[in-house]
Amino acid sequence: MMPLPREERTQQVARDDSRPNGLGEDVVSAARSNRRDGSAGLVAKNRSENDPKYAIELKDISKYFGSLAALHPTKLAVNRGEFLTLLGPSGSGKSTLLNLIAGGSGPSTGSIFLDGRDITRMPPRERGIGMVFQNYALMPHMTVFENVAYPLRARHFDRSAIRAKVTEALDRVGLRGLEDRKPRQLSGGQQQRVGIARCIVYAPAIIMMDEPLGALDKNLREQMQGEIKRLHKDLGTTFIYVTHDQEEALNMSDRICLMSLGAIAQLGTPDDLYFRPRSRFVAEFIGESNIITGRVEGNGRMLVSGNETFLVPHEKRSTGSELTVMVRPERVRICGSAESVTTGENVLDGEVVGTAFVGGTTRVAIQCANGLHMTAKMMSDRLATRPAAGDQVRVCWSSIDTVTLDS
Amino acid sequence: MNMTSSIRATAIFMSPAALIAIFIVMPPLLYVVYTSVNGLAFSLDLYADVVASKLFRQTLITTFVISGISCFVSLVLGFVVALHLASQPARRRAILLGLVLLPLWTSILVKCFAFMVLLGREGVINSILSWAFDAHIQLPMILNRIGTLIGMINWQVPLVVLPILASLLAIDEAVYRAASIMGAKPARIFWTVTVRLSLPGVLAGLLSIFVMSLGSFMVPALLGGPKDLMLSNLVDYYSRQVLDWPRASTISVILFAISVSFAAPLALWRRSRRI
Ligand SMILES: Nc1ncnc2c1ncn2[C@@H]1O[C@H](COP(=O)(O)OP(=O)(O)OP(=O)(O)O)[C@@H](O)[C@H]1O
Ligand SMILES: [Mg+2]
Repeated sequence: MMPLPREERTQQVARDDSRPNGLGEDVVSAARSNRRDGSAGLVAKNRSENDPKYAIELKDISKYFGSLAALHPTKLAVNRGEFLTLLGPSGSGKSTLLNLIAGGSGPSTGSIFLDGRDITRMPPRERGIGMVFQNYALMPHMTVFENVAYPLRARHFDRSAIRAKVTEALDRVGLRGLEDRKPRQLSGGQQQRVGIARCIVYAPAIIMMDEPLGALDKNLREQMQGEIKRLHKDLGTTFIYVTHDQEEALNMSDRICLMSLGAIAQLGTPDDLYFRPRSRFVAEFIGESNIITGRVEGNGRMLVSGNETFLVPHEKRSTGSELTVMVRPERVRICGSAESVTTGENVLDGEVVGTAFVGGTTRVAIQCANGLHMTAKMMSDRLATRPAAGDQVRVCWSSIDTVTLDS
Repeated sequence: MNMTSSIRATAIFMSPAALIAIFIVMPPLLYVVYTSVNGLAFSLDLYADVVASKLFRQTLITTFVISGISCFVSLVLGFVVALHLASQPARRRAILLGLVLLPLWTSILVKCFAFMVLLGREGVINSILSWAFDAHIQLPMILNRIGTLIGMINWQVPLVVLPILASLLAIDEAVYRAASIMGAKPARIFWTVTVRLSLPGVLAGLLSIFVMSLGSFMVPALLGGPKDLMLSNLVDYYSRQVLDWPRASTISVILFAISVSFAAPLALWRRSRRI
């Protein structure tokens, strides 16, 4: 509730870090000695050790609440000027990671480097990070102007500088003219724009946003996505963005860090995550997928139930070992029985068990003869020409669209 | 809900209160007013007389001084208590709040006698001090201004804690996080967020205890000395010792008017906030 004085905060950190096997003590003292080195004039050494080409670098950072690991020891390096999105289901540790960077709570283990500086034990106000909150967290008693001026007043800027900077920030988010309104006199989208203006006004080195659009409706969300992307381009600041909306993540990010159960499931570009998911979790979380399990047969083939063999990308694993592959539904074609199939394609007979017409695309569920359940996605046709439940069809897909998964 | 039905609903809910006001509260009040203006003669002579009297003026000042000081001290103490309560986990807060409110459920008479036992010349505190310093200590803490203030503050603090606590709990925790991330030091956060956002509770609490203090009778009568007479005690003096009922009525009406002048803004302000 109350902002704690410095000592109490550190104590509290020490208290809720009931970490396993007493690892924490070493890290804490390591962090302390590190800082002492820095103040003793060894800054240069520090710099070369922790490559300052990263805007943020997390080294084996973790957070435990009692025995619950909200974040397992995690390494993460964020490039300068990058738009990185933390994506993941509820409870996967996204906010925990963000809070550790912001300094809202201390890590159980590990250290955090901002521009090569160790900030692990630095209080939030000294980190120079900006944050946008899901529920805006505006000061309800202050006008828009005062809200945006708040971080500048905390930094003792003079009046004219404050006026100029606030005006510029409000210009950027398109809120000029609303300076004297109170937050409750604004719409949700406008309130979030104030939140963004308040964050960019002091030009923080890193801007973090925790589900900033979560409380807005779909249309406004898409519009704001565009605005935030543009802002990122204009400012060139490093952005760390949290969402559990995969489309938002794919649309906005340079890289996506997909999290699951307090650990990073995969870190990569939106393309990587969509077209080269490493695990079944990634494949199923991002987009839709057909998962096929079987055994390696060698020669770019796999054996699945019903003694069927499929062509798959060449596989280093030994013959007979288990294999899981994935095909995106939009890569699965439905073809008539007469249509010829090119080499390198897998073909299965089956029956349509259901279709879902969702506007631009139609999803077709097919029960295949060998018991496999496949989903195909295609551009929508008129009802008369769309496949209907009960139709006997053939589905085919190419081996190059098949992705091998780790498990 | 449309206008007429809402008025009707209000009427139904208000009627018991209205009936009580009309038949139980108003008649004696009106009789007091009637007495103070010398019945149908409707003379304001007594008012002029009372206002000119030295005893009344002195008592009026005492009333404001005691109320003002005790309310200020209670506000500071209550704010600290409310801050602490607000930072506690919900369960612990409920228990602690119960302890804060405990004195409210005790008769003020009982509490005054308890304070006599504690603060008296041969009371508990003086005995302990005497024993500790091995001397005969008789700090005068009762039948004087100190005793009065202690007695007043004792019942005011719980009343002022409640609205302040409500205001503090209504502050979104993310606002604190946002402020500290934006670079504000704890002192700035305390003034710009904690204090500023608890102001409605502070104002509500302060006005209500101040209005209640103006009419205090028991505490100055039992714990105060002759110099700590408040307006209610003056009313008591005229009605029971001197048996000058018209004068007692006049002072009552003046006291009532003063209280209303402080309570009315509070009521109006609350209503404007609700809408
Ligand atoms: N203060 C806390 N005390 C105990 N457990 C906590 C605390 N904060 C978070 N957790 C737990 O840590 C885990 C990760 O939480 P976190 O808030 O980081 O999830 P998230 O990915 O942000 O989820 P969401 O999308 O719902 O916001 C959850 O299991 C949560 O219950
Ligand atoms: Mg979260």
